[in-house]
Amino acid sequence: MKSKRVLGPTAWIVCAAAVLAPIAARAQQASTPIPDITGSWERARDASIPAQPQPPLKPQHLKEWQAKVQAARESSAKGEPLADRATACLPEGMPTMMGATFPLEILQSKGQVTIIEEAFTQIRRILLDRPQKPVDDVEPGFYGHSVGHWEGGVLVVDTVGVRENVFIGGGMGSPGVPHSKDMRIKERISLGANGILRDDITIEDPVTFEKPWTYTFGYRRMPGYTLLEYVCEDNREYADEKGLQKIRIETPGR
Amino acid sequence: MVFSRRTGYAVGCLILMALVMVSAALAHHSFAVYDHTKTLILNGKVTKFQWTNPHAFLEIDVQDAKGAVKHYTLECTSINMMQRLGWRSNMIKAGDQVKAIAAPLLSGQPGGLLLEVTLASGEKRELGVPASNTFKRTAEQE
Repeated sequence: MKSKRVLGPTAWIVCAAAVLAPIAARAQQASTPIPDITGSWERARDASIPAQPQPPLKPQHLKEWQAKVQAARESSAKGEPLADRATACLPEGMPTMMGATFPLEILQSKGQVTIIEEAFTQIRRILLDRPQKPVDDVEPGFYGHSVGHWEGGVLVVDTVGVRENVFIGGGMGSPGVPHSKDMRIKERISLGANGILRDDITIEDPVTFEKPWTYTFGYRRMPGYTLLEYVCEDNREYADEKGLQKIRIETPGR
Repeated sequence: MVFSRRTGYAVGCLILMALVMVSAALAHHSFAVYDHTKTLILNGKVTKFQWTNPHAFLEIDVQDAKGAVKHYTLECTSINMMQRLGWRSNMIKAGDQVKAIAAPLLSGQPGGLLLEVTLASGEKRELGVPASNTFKRTAEQE
C-alpha cells in the first residue's frame, strides 16, 4: 500500500518546519524585550550607517529640485545666500528633525514614545498600538501623525500628514527635497549591539518619488546630558525683498 | 571612449555627493554672507553680549590710532552649541576689553562672524562655527 502514502518523512519535516518556524519567530519576537532607549542622543557617524543616497525624485521633480539647488549654490558663492526656513526661525519638522543637528531626547512612557530635538524645541509623539488615520483625516503639520508598535526590539513607526511646504533636508541656504501631501514616512528604530541607535527611514511618496527613498540616521548616547532650552528669540537674519538672507547689524545711538 | 565615460561617471558622482552633502550638513544657518578669505583682529570694548538663539551677538567698539571709534556687530553661533563648548552667558559683559578674530561681512558693513575671542581674563575661546576651517585666518589688524 506504499502508493497510498501521501507524505514521506522528509516532507513531514519540511512541513513541520514551515508551520513551526513562524511560530518560533513570533515567540522569539515576543520574548525580545523592548530596549531602553530613553535618554539623550547625538548623531553618530558610524561605519554601520550607510551614506544617504540621492532622493529618487521623478524626472520633472528632480529637474526642478536640481535647478533650485544649483541656484542656491550660485547665490551662496556670491555671498548672497537665499533665505530659507532657518532665516524665518522655522523648525525642520519630519523627517528632517531626526537628522539631529542638535541632540535628541527620547522618552518612553505608557502608550507613547516622545522624541524631542533640542533645536527649535521640536517635539514628535509616536502613539503606540493605535491604528493610523487616513492622510486626509490628519491636519497637515510639521510633524504629522505618528503611530508605532514594537516588533521585538524594533520600534516600527508610520507617519502621515506632513505639510507640503515642510521640505526634507535643506537648510544652510539650500532648498529641501519636495514631497506631496500623501508622503508616508516609515521608520524602524532599533538599538544595535554596538550601542548605536539607528533610525532606518523609508519615505514613500508615489506622487513625487519613483521609488521609496531609504536612508538611515545613527545616534550615540550622551550620558549625563540634559537637553537645553531653545527659543528662536531674536533672529537678526532676515529675507530682503529679493529673498536673500541678510543680517541686521547694530546701529549705535539708536 | 572609456576615459570620457569614466570622467562623466566621476563628475556625476561628484555632483551627487555635493547634492547629498548639501542636505546632510549639520548646521541650520548659512554663513555665506561672510568673507571666507580673510579675518580681522578687533581689539575693542564690549557694548553688549546678546545671549539669544538662533545666534548670540557680540557688540564691540573699536578705537583706531586716531581715537575714532567704529562699532562692530559680531555674530556668534547658537547659545546651545556655545554652552556645549563650555560657554556661559556671564563670560562677557559690557565694558570688557576683548580681542576678537572675525570673518568680515562681504557687504562691507562693520560686522563679522566671530571665530575666536580672547576674554578680559586672557582666556581664549572658540565659538564652534561649523566648518570653521573654511574661513582663512589672515588676521588683519583693524
